[in-house]
This record gives sequence, structure tokens and C-alpha cells, in this order.
Amino acid sequence: MSAIVKHPFLQRLLRVPPAYYVFAILLITLWIARPHMLNANIMGIFIRQVAPLGVLVLAQLLVMRVKSIDLSGGGILLLVNYVISSGIFPGASMPFFIGLSLAIGTAIGLFNGWMIGKRRVSAVIVTLAVSIILVGFVQYLSSGKPPGDVPSYLNDIYNIKWGPAPVPVLFWFALTVVMALFLSKTVFGRYVTSVGENPEAAHFSGVPVERTVILAHTLAGFIAAVAALVQTASIAVGSVRVGLDLPILAVAATILGGVVFGRGEGGVWGPFFGVLSFALLFVVMTTFGIDDPGKLIAQGLIILLAAIFYGIRTSRSN
Amino acid sequence: MLPLLIAIANSVYLGLRTDQFLGSENLFNLIAQAMPLVITAIGQMFVVVVGDLDLSVGSLISFTTAILALDAPGYVTIPAVFLFAVLVGLSNGLVITRLNVHPIIATLAMQYVILGITRILRPVSGGTVPDIVIQSVGGSLFGVPMPVFWGIAVVLVAWKLLHGSRFGLHLFAIGGGVANGTPDAARNFGVPDRRNILLAYVACSCFTALAGVFLAGRIVSGDPNVGLLFELDAITAVAVGGTQLSGGIGSLQGTVIGALVLALLSNGMNLTNVSPFIQTAIKGGLLLLVVGLQTRKKMGL
Amino acid sequence: MACLVEMSNISKSFGGSKAVDGVSLKLMPGTVHALMGENGAGKSTLMKILAGVHQSDSGKIFRDGRKVGFETPREALEAGISTVFQELSLLANLTIAENMFLGREPVTAFGTIDRARMRRETRKALAALGLELNPDVLVSELSIAERQFVEIAHGIKADASVFILDEPTAALNAADVEVMNAQIRRLRDDGKAIVYISHRIDEIFGICDTMTVLKDGKLVATRPLSGMTPDSLIALMVGRELQDLFPARGTTSSETVLELEDFRIDPDSKPLSLHVNKGEIVALAGLEGQGQQQLLRSLAGLYRASTGSAFIKGKALPLPAQKPSGIRQLQARKVGFVPEDRKEEGLFLGLSIAHNIAVGLSSVHGELSIAHDYREAIAETMTSMNIRASGPSAPVGTLSGGNQQKVLLGRYLASGLDLLLIEEPTRGVDIGAKAEIYNLLRSFADAGGAILVLSRETVELIGLCDRIYVVHGKAIVAELPAETATEHQILNAALSA
Repeated sequence: MSAIVKHPFLQRLLRVPPAYYVFAILLITLWIARPHMLNANIMGIFIRQVAPLGVLVLAQLLVMRVKSIDLSGGGILLLVNYVISSGIFPGASMPFFIGLSLAIGTAIGLFNGWMIGKRRVSAVIVTLAVSIILVGFVQYLSSGKPPGDVPSYLNDIYNIKWGPAPVPVLFWFALTVVMALFLSKTVFGRYVTSVGENPEAAHFSGVPVERTVILAHTLAGFIAAVAALVQTASIAVGSVRVGLDLPILAVAATILGGVVFGRGEGGVWGPFFGVLSFALLFVVMTTFGIDDPGKLIAQGLIILLAAIFYGIRTSRSN
Repeated sequence: MLPLLIAIANSVYLGLRTDQFLGSENLFNLIAQAMPLVITAIGQMFVVVVGDLDLSVGSLISFTTAILALDAPGYVTIPAVFLFAVLVGLSNGLVITRLNVHPIIATLAMQYVILGITRILRPVSGGTVPDIVIQSVGGSLFGVPMPVFWGIAVVLVAWKLLHGSRFGLHLFAIGGGVANGTPDAARNFGVPDRRNILLAYVACSCFTALAGVFLAGRIVSGDPNVGLLFELDAITAVAVGGTQLSGGIGSLQGTVIGALVLALLSNGMNLTNVSPFIQTAIKGGLLLLVVGLQTRKKMGL
Repeated sequence: MACLVEMSNISKSFGGSKAVDGVSLKLMPGTVHALMGENGAGKSTLMKILAGVHQSDSGKIFRDGRKVGFETPREALEAGISTVFQELSLLANLTIAENMFLGREPVTAFGTIDRARMRRETRKALAALGLELNPDVLVSELSIAERQFVEIAHGIKADASVFILDEPTAALNAADVEVMNAQIRRLRDDGKAIVYISHRIDEIFGICDTMTVLKDGKLVATRPLSGMTPDSLIALMVGRELQDLFPARGTTSSETVLELEDFRIDPDSKPLSLHVNKGEIVALAGLEGQGQQQLLRSLAGLYRASTGSAFIKGKALPLPAQKPSGIRQLQARKVGFVPEDRKEEGLFLGLSIAHNIAVGLSSVHGELSIAHDYREAIAETMTSMNIRASGPSAPVGTLSGGNQQKVLLGRYLASGLDLLLIEEPTRGVDIGAKAEIYNLLRSFADAGGAILVLSRETVELIGLCDRIYVVHGKAIVAELPAETATEHQILNAALSA
């Protein structure tokens, strides 16, 4: 048994992030069961739906690569949505809204990073607490009711297509490329890899460990605000519920994509395919008549199985 | 000590501010309101003592109410609830101790799995729970409301487990090693650490299920959302009660007082008509505050 | 009289190197047995085998004539062998009584822990040591000496007849040392066997009856102490062959690179001064744990109690250095700190050789600057250092110890630094790689660099360095030119201080 496991070919297969396998399996399932759905237009619409998730995953993978986690995305999504749709800034221009949203996200990310990096507080607790504070705050401001409408130009942008490809998908793809370059070509990317592999050794090699963690969280807050803008554009109305499950989906997609607490083997494209897998999963589940509760169970099981996959692998290599 | 002072200050303030607060009806009501949190927090404490967290408790509470509200007799559903709780605790514990998965990831995943199952069982709130459950929560014995007996029984059992048995001492020993950066310390003394950690998760799930039974008796129906964010309230209560989230240090009385402080806070905010949304935000802020005041050696989840 | 424990022909290897090689040892009742040897001679490993922490590769252990083998410290304790290690193993968040009984708590008929009995027996065990500590006090509230006494009491309570004390007095002040020695005599008079490891030679002669000397993992001699003098004891401990591993010494300039003035490792330790010149390799020698490491680490902000002034090329280095920024502060002044523990502190084992070397070159730049791949610099380092690997993308964890150590040094040598602070340049490295590393360090110095190095292996320091500072009790007690220095001289300087 152990001889089989140690075979180099199998070892290499174990190194491929599960996202690629899951994606391939789902694609084949869909191709067999519903071949007519595999056309560019339909797939474009489905993939467009997960664009906000795809952007948020970029934030999640960044913090997970420095051995942290960010569950505050739901709160940021809601707050940005509220700011834009509530009409508290009547007649404000698009750049103003975008600037304000990004500033909000960055500030929250900075706070998370400071608490986690400097005060060394548990990342789960900080970001969850921040999230429920923001959610409670927004729901209070809007008295629990959807606040209003989103300026129409946001939704117009969201609906533009470039050939068969919807603009939000292209935007997500472009952002992923930028993140991939950022992590592979900058000193910061090198710091992230180092801290994720071994914070102690990173410190001894001159990497500013605290600053790297704080910066990763700040950047994650910024990206969460971008995801919030995409999300708000997609639903076109204000909401006090939307997007609350996105952070956990983002964790699931990131783990599925091969990025687990410090180990960034999946790079940026593993989680990208993790998100695509979720897009397909929702399509497959919908076509087979499985509704929301089933999706929750699937999310949970995917996180669990992917984590077990890595857990067994590390215990073996030790 | 500090939480006790907060509790007293809070009570005095409420006693002066509102007429209802000191009425015996409100006080008994307060105990009944606080009980689910007290029980859940006690359960959570088993896991916190070894330096972990269990995030699946909120879903498990909702799940318990959903099971109890099924159209089946109580002698089937009540044992079933605890059977499921043991299963949840076992699978959490096994995945964490044997399959090398981080506790937060394992219990977070479990939270979603249970939530999904609960929503299938009971998409919206409804159904009725067995009479015996309603009676044992809402009734009274010798003129004393039942929740008082619940409280006494739970505290006695938890006291026995945490402070009166080898199991409890071993949990503290394991947590002390973990907090000190020497996770093998307890094992070197001959303490079977993996088995004890596994049992801590089982204990946590069982207490949580008990809290779910109590809550079901109060709301008289099943509700898929009743346990929402309960895990955070429980962690807050444990932390307010002086238990270190890094493990090894804490006391049962602290946790009970911590849970009562939170319940008092809710009760007070309800009496003074604070918006429920602001209440959520305030609880989040409190969690951030108490956890921010505890220092740890290393960064991490 | 029958011996309590006999260890026969014990061997143990770590990686490739033999830590203990065919050593035999007999422990008699009513004796205090000193275990002597230089740093890394194998004393601790031998005792950890007896205590069940390590398992021997070959050889036998007899307890009262019966053959035994201990898988865990627990099993050893149950067989009556109690150990007080330098690193304390008590759990600070529990009470004394809880620590004493942990894992074997007595229970009452109701299944609850019998705390009354625990208290009673703890008090009895403490009283056997003449101590009056409250069994309900948390261990975290005890002093270091008291914790060690509790560990000894733990052994007494477990009815141990063999006590291993690994430098029990290292962290104690003079008054506590007296109390400790009184306890040891009391145990001896009760017919127990005590193994006593210490670097304080006066203590050895004050308290021990027999001594065993180890050298390079091998047994040198076991003799009664009555016929020995401190000088003859040192003579047994030293005398390793100086192998032909070391490059010729270079010429040093008079330009000072590092200067410490009125520098105190701890606020109450003696002030010390030292300097390192350009082109020079300077050693901090002495017995293990005398402050060499704290001295080096305090420059990098990893040890905080230091005061005084430090100058690098004449410019003041702010002291005490801060932990988060200490390493970077040195780096900005072209000083590299090479940590001792290459697996935990030095290398990224899961990452490539290229990353491990490039991180040192990158980290002097700002976060947003482009991370060059430094392909040429890395290739050059790998060739010049003779790092044997399939290529620069090979994960460092797959390399041998020697090649790992070269990658670690390569990170700093490639960064164009002026001064290297090195802890243990050749720990866990085979002879061939050692020679290569010595050559690399010497050519770094010849090219105008300066090195301050500490090592457990005194021979290595004599062969490699130009000048040696002997550190003892957190102070510099002697300064010697390496060319004429001998192990004996250094040990003597340390022990007579």
C-alpha cells in the first residue's frame, strides 16, 4: 500500500489541486446529462454569476497563503451595497461610490490585519466579529429592509458583453492575472510565500512578517470591496441578505484550489478553477433538482474532504 | 472577577432604569432566557480548554429543534437528538485528531453540513415538539420554575466532568501544553491526548444538543435559524468568563457568569428597546474586545 | 552491592552522525555519579535514552538485573527512573499536586479525583525534601528552583531510585544551589543513585563520588573522583584530534567592523567589550549556555535584556533592538544573522533552493519592487559552494544536511554582506561538508568580510578562527589568539572564572 502511495506518478497526481479534478468530473457529468447546456452563452451566464465570488477568492487566497483567514467579506459586501443603494449620498458620481467603497474595504482590512498581525488575535474570531458588527450595523440603518435601488449604470456595465464573454467575467479573469503577476513578480509575493512556508525562517531571512500579514489583510479588504461592487452591480438593488454566504464559499473554493493555510501550491489558478467548479456544481445541482440545503451540504463536504485530503498528505510526509 | 462586577453593575443599572427588571417574573424569565447560552457555553468550554474552537454548535442547536419538531413520539426523537450529537462530536473529533484537519476548518465544514440537513428537515419554522419537552422547560416543580432545575443539573454534571474527574484534569493538562507551545507535554505524562480531545468534542456536542432541547421547549416548534450565530455568543461567554482561548486556563463558574452577563446584556437591551440589529453589533464588539485583550504567542487562526 | 541500573554498549545515531557510540555505565545505590564531557560529547543523549525520551539503536539496559526498554518517559518513571531536564516539563497551568499525579490520579469511590489524598501525598513527598510548599499552588507561581524541587519530589513520590539531574544548578543562584546540593546529599543518603550533569567543576568535586567522561560519543573513563584533580579531569575531557579540515588563516586589517562597549547581556551581568575587524573570524567559545547565544541574539533583537552600545563600522546600532525589526535593522547595515536551527529558523524546507537564496537578496527591497529571479547569482552560489542538487528548483527539504547548511550560508554569502553573525556553522553536517564550509567562511573573510561565530565544538573554533573570546557567566573571561589556543586552555579559562 505505502509502496503504491510513494510511487512518483501518484505523488504527482496528489499534488494537483482537487479543483481541476472536480471541474473535469462536473464538466463530464454535465456533458453526458445535459449536453445542450454546454454552449458559450449559457455557460457565460452561469459563470457571470460567480464573478463576485471569484473576485472574493483572490482576497481569501492571499490571506490563506499567510496562514490566516478572512470571514469579514460578508459584512463588507453588505456595507458597500448599503452605501450605494440607500441613497444617503444622493446624486453622487460613480467614481465617488467606487472610491468610497474601496476606502471602506481597505480600512476594514487594515483593522483585521492589525488585530491579527500585531495583537495576534485569532483570525477567525476577529473577522467573524467584524462581519457581524457590520451586518448588524447595516441592518439597523436599513431597519432590516432592502434599502433601495442601485444606480442603473452599474447594472448596465454588468450586462455588457464582449463577444460571447460577459464583462464581469473578463474583469474577474483580468484581476486574477494581475494577482498572479503580483504574487509571482513582486517582493511582496516572495514575502507571502516565505511567511506561509515558515514564519520563523521568514523572520530570520529579513522578511517583515507582521507587516506582510497586515498588508495581506489590508489588500484582502480592498479586494473584498471590489467583489462587493461587482456583486452590487449584479443584483442591481439594495439588499440586507445578499452575499452573506460568499466568504465561506470563498474559503471552500480556495481550499479546493490547493491553497491551504500557508501552502500555495495551487497558485492563483487553482482557486480560479475552484470557483469555476462551484459555478458548474450549482448548474449540475440545479439541473438535478437539488436546492439550497443540498448546496449547503455540498459546500460543507467539499471543505471537509479537501481539508482531509491535505491533512492526510501532510501526516504522511511527516 | 471583572465579569461579575459588570453583571452587578448591569443589574443595578437596569433595576434603576426599568420597573420590570427586578420583578420575579423577569428574573425567572431571565434564567430561562439565559439557559440555552449557559449550556452551550459550558459545552464550548470543553473544547476551548484544549485550545480549540467548535463552530458547529449553532447549526447543531437548530438541527436539534428540527428533529424534536418531527412528527414522531418523544421517546424516539429525544434519544435520536443525543445520538446525532454524539455522532457529530465523534466525527469532528476524529477528523481533527486522526485526519490532521485544523479544528476551525473541520467544525466550520460541519456547521454547513448540519445547516443543510436542518433546512431539508424543516425549511421554515413550524411543527410541534413533544409535550414532555415543553413541560420540562415551561412547567414548574414545588413552585420553582423548571429552568432552575435545568441550571442546577447542568452545572453539577459539568462540574463533575471538568473539575471533578480525571477527564477534566487531562483536558486542562493538554491545553496547558498547547498554550505553552509544547503540545506533547501532557502525553509525556502518560495522558492519552487524542482520545481526550475527541471526547471533548463529544461533550461539547452533547451539551449543545441539550441546549437545543431546552430551546425547542421554549419556542415549542422547530426553527432552522434559531441557532444562528450561537457559536459566537458561546465563545464570547467563555472568553468573558476568563477562559483563555489559547487553552489550559479557565473555570466553570467563570463561564456560567460569562453566559449570564451576556444574557443580562440582551435582557437589558430588550427592556430598553435597543434594536435587535444593534444588539448583534454590540455582541460582536464585545467578542472583539475580550478576545483582543487576551494575548497569544503566535499569529494564526 | 548490586547496581541499580546498568547500561551496556549503548549506541545511538541521529541522521548520519553517532551521538553515542558503545557506551556502558553502571549506577550504584548511594552514589552521586558525575557525567562529564565537552559540549556535544553525548551526555544528554545518553541520559535521554535512559529516561525513555530517545530509544537506543543498539545496546541493553538492565534495571536491578532485569533487561528493560523504555518507549516513553512515563515507562521510565514507572521503572523508578526520574529525570529533571534543563527544559522543565511541568505544566505551569496546573497545581503542584496535579502535576505530581498527572496521568495517574487516584479516584474516590464516586469516581471523582481524590484531591485529599493527592494533597496528602504531595505534602509528604515535598516534606521528604524538607520543603513546605502548598500543594494547591499553581506551578506558574513557583521560582525555577522550586520547580526543579517539585520535579525531584515527583520522582520521590513515584518511588524512583535513580535520579538524573541535567544541569540542575544552571539557572539557580548561589543560595538555591546550596539547597539543591543538600537535597542531592539527602537522596544519596537514602540509597538512591544520582546522575549529575554539570559544567561547574567545583560543584562536581563538592558533591560527586564517581565520574564518567564521554568524548565524541565514546566512553573515555569511569573513575572514583577521590583520586582526581580538576586539572586531570579536564585533561580527560579534551584532546580530540585536530583534523586537517581548516584553511590557512588570512591577514586581518585594523579596520573595525563590529564593536561592543560596556555591553551587558542581562541588566545585572558584568559589562563586556569586544571587537571584530575586517577580514577576521572571531569566536565566542566556552561551555554551553554561558551567554554566547544571548550575546549574538541580542544584537538581532531576539533577546531583549541587553544594554550598552554597539557600533557597526563606527555607526551606532540602536539597542536594545526590537524583535520585529532587529533582523532587518542588521540587514540594512549589511550584517547577516545565521541562526542555529536550520530546519525551524533558517530554511524554507518545502521551497526551492532558488527561493531560499533569493529571499535574502529580495528582502532588502520594498514590497512593491520587482522580485528578480537572481538566476545568475543563484547559479553562481550553487557552483561556488558546490551545492549538490538536481537544480535550483529542488526543494531544500530533499537535500542532505550538509547541502542544506550550504544553502543557508549561501543566502547570506550571496547577499554581499560585510559581517556575519553565525550560530553553529556546521551543526549536524558530515566531515566533508564541514571542510567545505570552513573554506567558504575563510574566503568570505579574505574577501574583506568579518565573522563572529559561536559553536559548541571548541576544536572547530580553534581551527577556524583568528581570535577567541571565552564567555562564562554572561561575561568575557579571556581573549586568546586562536593560533596558539588549546582546548585545555579554553576550558581552564572558563572553569576557573
